[in-house]
Amino acid sequence: MSNPPAPARDSVLQRRLSLSDMLDVPAFAEVVKGFVELYRIGIKVFDDKGTKLADIKIGNGDFCGYVFSFPDGRSSCTGWVGRVKDGPIAPVHGARLPVLDDEPAPKGLVAAPCFTGLRYLILPIMWEGDTLGRIIFGPFLPDDMRGFPSSLTEISKNFDISKAQILVEKIRRAPESTVAKVMLHFAQLFDTLLSAGQKMFLTSQMHIEATLETNRDLEERNQRLEGMNTRLKELDRLKSAFLATVSHELRTPLTSIIGYSEMLAEGLAGPMNQEQVDYVRTIMEKGETLLKLISSILDISQIEAGKVRLSFEAYDVKDLLQSSASSVRPQAQKKGVDIEVKLPAHIERAVGDKERLRQVLVNLLANAVKFTPKGGKITASLSFSDKQPELKSAGYRIVIEDSGVGIPPDQFDKIFQSFYQVDSSSTREFGGAGLGLAIVKSFVEGHGGQVQVSSTVGQGSRFTIVLPQQPTGPVAHIAPPVQTPPEDRF
Amino acid sequence: MPSVQLNHAQRELTVKIVYYGPGLSGKTTNLQMIHQRTQPEVRGRLLTVETHDDRTLFFDLLPVFFSTQNGFKVKVKLFTVPGQVIHNATRRIVLQGADAVAFIADSRRSASPENNNYWKNLLENMRENGLEATHVPVVIQYNKRDLPDTRTDAEIEETKKRGKEPVIGAIAIRGEGVLETLHAVLQSAYRSIDSRAHLAKNIGLTEKEFLTQVFANIDTKGTALEKDFPPKKAAEARP
Repeated sequence: MSNPPAPARDSVLQRRLSLSDMLDVPAFAEVVKGFVELYRIGIKVFDDKGTKLADIKIGNGDFCGYVFSFPDGRSSCTGWVGRVKDGPIAPVHGARLPVLDDEPAPKGLVAAPCFTGLRYLILPIMWEGDTLGRIIFGPFLPDDMRGFPSSLTEISKNFDISKAQILVEKIRRAPESTVAKVMLHFAQLFDTLLSAGQKMFLTSQMHIEATLETNRDLEERNQRLEGMNTRLKELDRLKSAFLATVSHELRTPLTSIIGYSEMLAEGLAGPMNQEQVDYVRTIMEKGETLLKLISSILDISQIEAGKVRLSFEAYDVKDLLQSSASSVRPQAQKKGVDIEVKLPAHIERAVGDKERLRQVLVNLLANAVKFTPKGGKITASLSFSDKQPELKSAGYRIVIEDSGVGIPPDQFDKIFQSFYQVDSSSTREFGGAGLGLAIVKSFVEGHGGQVQVSSTVGQGSRFTIVLPQQPTGPVAHIAPPVQTPPEDRF
Repeated sequence: MPSVQLNHAQRELTVKIVYYGPGLSGKTTNLQMIHQRTQPEVRGRLLTVETHDDRTLFFDLLPVFFSTQNGFKVKVKLFTVPGQVIHNATRRIVLQGADAVAFIADSRRSASPENNNYWKNLLENMRENGLEATHVPVVIQYNKRDLPDTRTDAEIEETKKRGKEPVIGAIAIRGEGVLETLHAVLQSAYRSIDSRAHLAKNIGLTEKEFLTQVFANIDTKGTALEKDFPPKKAAEARP
């Protein structure tokens, strides 16, 4: 069912990091600049692809410019710069190991003497066993340099040694070992910057990746849930449609059965003896029970399909409660249960769908009768208030209380679901399809009212319905409990 | 199947080991102990990203590297995952491309439900990452053997029988069992990679050289590895 996992994008943890990943390049250039100004030696930093990360010069501009003004000087200089920047960081191709005079120096350092007599020191940038780039210190004037080498003085007949002498003095003169020591400091600083930078880079990238991964995961779950939801809604719709069709198809022949039984019982088809009449009346009675059940199923299927419309009219609440009580009284009497109706002296007329509300009251009263044992009592009381706390408007309150078996508190919500039974075992004592209260809830809420239940197991239950005097809803339409999403528009 | 990070052009092999397990089972402690005992020349810094209360936030990373006799560069990257439940996405990312997993369990009996949850979580995340348990070996470390309520040796023997993963007892905070676990997980990783990439044949790296190159630079004093990989100073002192 579930799709195979999407091929995850390679994490930053699988990648080899470059210097520019780990360094904040502009900030790093500032650090290098400070270092250069402090020690008066130029610093260049390149990554392993030859990209320049920092290049701060100091002191050598005039001298190098002068050398560069001669064609041979220019070509030698270009060649040498290439060697320092891209050549191997090893004592080959004109480079050699540095003279350290027992001064501390970083590992892997090489000295590269320039054709001008100036000097560079080159240090590889090592990170977790990889060479990620190089640091170049220089040029500096070696303190052991006495006069210019012929490789410089011979670049041109016009080369002015005394002028060059003046210019070269602007470059810092230092022993190689001192520069190496400075470089060690720089390398330590650089290493700290790199580890801080690596941590920052990896954590920020991981933060993004983790967020994306969580998002992907949630989207996948949402999709699964949506699919499941659509399926359930479709099943629910099919169930309602099936119920509507079946109950309609059942009702038609059933009315014939009841009708013909009635005719038989009344002797329209000739006289019957008492036993025959009793049998036929039983057929009729059971037929009526079945018809009620089928009607409930049809009601609930119509409610669930969103097809129920309430027709509002003015009605007398007292009458309605009394007549509803009268209709269940025969059952109650048969069972030996007493029904008392408490009415206020005067009450104003209300607006609502009288027949649906009658069904509500009959369902509640019939339930009370059903679950109250012999000798028990049912009270139905009506009251009116200008301001019902639940509605914040004028309305009626009808409380139907019984002394029956009661309902466990954890079932209070469930009893209003269609087809739910507190006792759904096959040996249950009380019959019914579990639709009565679902219908009650839908109709009451369709009026903008509320239904509540409270109960103590073994002592009885109390159902309260609160109805507005005048429904305020825009349409007398009961929304189906399961909403189908709007169809695709494009 | 994990993709072997074997780069012939750069002559480089990367081995990824992930320390997995419930929160506070000692994953970071394992890495700290390895870091302490490893020569600085062959390891990088221990990178840890923690929350203010010392819980791993994203991961810890300890790189160990060396060059083989044939001049092949080998990088072993040890990662931990964050143990807290909410960081599952991060765990899945860190687990990507792992060559072997060290599962750090808490040996206290009361920790069994947590161990089981994370074991299942590991298997699920491996599956999500397309890693099959048959290709990514797992080594189990029973940490915190010094705490009260810890399982007995007999009980640990019992758990061994329930799977094919090597099981190692440890008190990581004192360094006990840490290098033994590292050895077991590296050995499993080597064997698993070798079965697919034929390291011995293709780059001339045998299991022995692989393990020796790593443990020659780790102080194995007082551990079960001391005999096979004698600490450097002791080795040099020999006539």
